[in-house]
Amino acid sequence: MAKEIYFEDINIGDAMPTFTSDPLTRTHLVRYAGASGDFNPLHHDETFVTMFGMPRVIAHGMLIMGITSRAITEWIDNKCLKNFKVRFSGMTEPADLSDIENTKARATITVTGNVVKKFAEGGENRIQCDIQAVDALGGVKLTGSFIAALPSK
Amino acid sequence: MADKSKIGLEFAPYTFEVEKGKIAEFAMAIYQKENKDQISPLYTNREAAQNAGFKDIIAPPTFQTCFALWASGGLMPLIQALNINLIRLLHGEEEYSYLGAIHPGDIMTGKSKVVDMYDKEKKDKPGKFMEFTVIETEIRNQRGELIIKSRSTLVER
Repeated sequence: MAKEIYFEDINIGDAMPTFTSDPLTRTHLVRYAGASGDFNPLHHDETFVTMFGMPRVIAHGMLIMGITSRAITEWIDNKCLKNFKVRFSGMTEPADLSDIENTKARATITVTGNVVKKFAEGGENRIQCDIQAVDALGGVKLTGSFIAALPSK
Repeated sequence: MADKSKIGLEFAPYTFEVEKGKIAEFAMAIYQKENKDQISPLYTNREAAQNAGFKDIIAPPTFQTCFALWASGGLMPLIQALNINLIRLLHGEEEYSYLGAIHPGDIMTGKSKVVDMYDKEKKDKPGKFMEFTVIETEIRNQRGELIIKSRSTLVER
């Protein structure tokens, strides 16, 4: 849960706290498939993806967006969140348990962001923060932004 | 090329009853955890949610993604209605506007509409096109209150 943050305490350019996920495994993908109802075999069945020349399954984009939402709500309160949008730019392959040391970097997601705007809208004081989710090899998974309405002192 | 006759197509509304256990399951999935004690108590504990100013447990910011998937039989009805080739399908963009909270026991109804379809030539393959379909959805609760507006962009590569 986030601590209360006040509009006056935020400046343009401020960074949100950096968040780093656990290395994603196939078990995380299966758990997300069940929770979300997205059973596209692309995300769990290697006999499916190899038919199309892909070496292994890939994570749901919406799982990466969900992980990003966690990063946001560990900084600002859920009730402050007004808008959250992302553009998916890269696929995420899970780590292989048989070779975790050499494969965990591609499956570890770091979320960062910076405040780019402070403005008043709908009688609220709002901030816009641009965000990105990147793996430990530098591969960009998504870019986007969120808008939060913050309380004043 | 994208079948632009599908612009304006409205899908049958879908209804999803929000269960406390589903919220916890979804939250554990995005937290990569196996135990409810390891995630934000806003998603599992009524008292903690009330202390944070909510009337009950709330759902995580992307929870509504499961409504259409569970309520209307997964991705296939959408894919078939739009003549999308599953193998070429990518999720391009997703946007949510939040107008209210989702709580256990809420009965959420989503209405989706195709609002745009367009092509973009591939930079590396002249003459080949990526096809984009934009779907907007309004999600209301059992009191008719608009809670989430979403905008999804699907891409056929």
